[in-house]
Amino acid sequence: MKIKKILVANRGEIALRVLKTAKEMGIKVVTVYAEDDKALPHALFADESYSLGLGALSETYLNKNKLIEIAKKSQVDAIHPGYGFLSENADFARLVESSGFIFIGPTAESIVLMGDKIGSKNALEKIKIPMIPGYHGDDQSVENLAKKSKEIGFPVLIKASAGGGGKGMRIVHKEAELTEAIRGAKSEALKAFSNDKVLIEKYVVNPRHIEVQLMSDTHGNHLHFFERECSIQRRYQKIVEETPAPQMSQELRLKICETAVQISSGINYRGAGTIEFILAPDGHYYFLEMNTRLQVEHPVTEMVTGYDLVKFQIFVAQGDKLSVKQSEIMQKGQAIECRIYAEDPDNDFMPSIGKIEKIGVPTLRDVRLDCGFLDGTEVGVNYDPMLAKLIVWGENREVAISKSIQSLDEVLFLGVKTNRDYLKRILGHKKFIAGQTHTHFIPDNKEDLAPKELAPAEIAAMIAGLCFNEQKPQSFQDKPGSVTNPWLELVGFRNV
Amino acid sequence: MEKKFILNGTDIVVKDFKQSAQSLTFNYEGKTYCFDLVTKEDHVVILDDSQKFKATVGSANKDGESIVMVKGREAKISYAGQRIKKHKTHAGGLTSPMPGKIFKILKELGSEVKKGEPILILEAMKMEHSICSDKDGKVKKISYKVGELVQSGVTLAEVE
Repeated sequence: MKIKKILVANRGEIALRVLKTAKEMGIKVVTVYAEDDKALPHALFADESYSLGLGALSETYLNKNKLIEIAKKSQVDAIHPGYGFLSENADFARLVESSGFIFIGPTAESIVLMGDKIGSKNALEKIKIPMIPGYHGDDQSVENLAKKSKEIGFPVLIKASAGGGGKGMRIVHKEAELTEAIRGAKSEALKAFSNDKVLIEKYVVNPRHIEVQLMSDTHGNHLHFFERECSIQRRYQKIVEETPAPQMSQELRLKICETAVQISSGINYRGAGTIEFILAPDGHYYFLEMNTRLQVEHPVTEMVTGYDLVKFQIFVAQGDKLSVKQSEIMQKGQAIECRIYAEDPDNDFMPSIGKIEKIGVPTLRDVRLDCGFLDGTEVGVNYDPMLAKLIVWGENREVAISKSIQSLDEVLFLGVKTNRDYLKRILGHKKFIAGQTHTHFIPDNKEDLAPKELAPAEIAAMIAGLCFNEQKPQSFQDKPGSVTNPWLELVGFRNV
Repeated sequence: MEKKFILNGTDIVVKDFKQSAQSLTFNYEGKTYCFDLVTKEDHVVILDDSQKFKATVGSANKDGESIVMVKGREAKISYAGQRIKKHKTHAGGLTSPMPGKIFKILKELGSEVKKGEPILILEAMKMEHSICSDKDGKVKKISYKVGELVQSGVTLAEVE
């Protein structure tokens, strides 16, 4: 069945991302918006757009029944969940399909399997996927957990089974800290996820976060689109991603990618997915988790492979065979994504809000700004503070870094404090340039990443900018001797 | 003429300040700067000293401060005379750093707190922010209940 109309059950840049590909394919797009989002471009630029009302997320973007109602009313064929929100919600995937729509994503079974950290590890151990040494068992007594920790060997990581975002997580370096850490992790896990089950894993020092983009159809074809390096993180969230991963041998790259495909074929996966791995400095890599959706950082893969992943998602969802062979997929050049957040990195990454007076536009070649805002729109407190993603392609890594730094200068979000300057400091750091990235890069290089003082010439120019801006345009035009604009004098002139 | 500005909270003094509609000259830290205005539109001011460049200037906030960006660097800048003294809450008041929702209250009224100890948690943009005591003392007032929405700058709690 050909998909002719899609409902995008999301907001902001990812809703626009899906919309762009759908338009290219001649597919009609329906979007939804919470009332406080009604001025945002995802609400404005679709073929149809419907209000989800105002209120808590459970009433708006997470309101499954309201979304299905809108899908019925607007007579769409399929629903794309984007990322976040309901994208990894198995109940929603089931509801979409039982209501007669195509879910542009994996089966509910795959979502359930991969959403459970312990369940997924048990399933993957059977198909010999490298797992980080650990204990994922049901005997949750403090005594047993302590015993298992000692068997694994310190340092160990204790984390919530149902967790995410660093909640219920503890690193333990020696036996004396163990009991207290287990108790603390359990109580945090219980509070955050109503489930105090924890798992214990070997803690890898200076690990890298490497993930592999997968795409599978319903005809037994399981492809990978190579890896992404996503080690630069703050508050356990990625802020800089790139591909190919620097400082990685071609041999290791192919091995990791093939391991990822073993997983997608092993669980008979459908659609776009990502396998996240931890890569130890010694070249050993371990399965971390699978994300059963399109990732925020998918554009870097698109930039180096030249394929549109959303297009493949739609083809797969309507039952088509993937039209490319693994051997045809190549990495060309280097792509880097910087996530632009409304936050103050020099003040503990405190989120910021406000009205965006003007958004700067990147001007260099092969630069993409995926942005969910327009000039004059507001950044509020109700949603994630990511404003946009700057994705830059260069023929090699050096060029991609240099173009990214220049482009970050251009993409100002006037009126809202952003991490733009901070991203420039990361990209300009000698260790980043050398490809020496790991997940503690930000805390380990805190001093180097502090803001640099403004040069006197920059301060002088800022003063000049302020002083000239203060003048009203009127006085500027009316002053004797000012140049008059000849075009304004052309009364009765018309275009022919 | 001497003129004062405040840039990111620091006083900046420039000397020999002269401004006309089209040009501006002043001396800052021993160096004389001359800027010609090339054009100006919609927050963007094109300046010319030895080379042309762009300054992007935001609207002034209620304290008279504007964000100015030059060559990718941003700063908050205002005329020293214009800046209105920020409304200070009375001693012991802990204010909300940003609009959000009261997520959790950790201390009861009258309980003892140490400096740096969290009193309540504010939730904004999917993240939690601890509001910590600025001194050792007793919690004298908690202004809101869990779940209430608060504006930026309001007093959330008082310690004495």
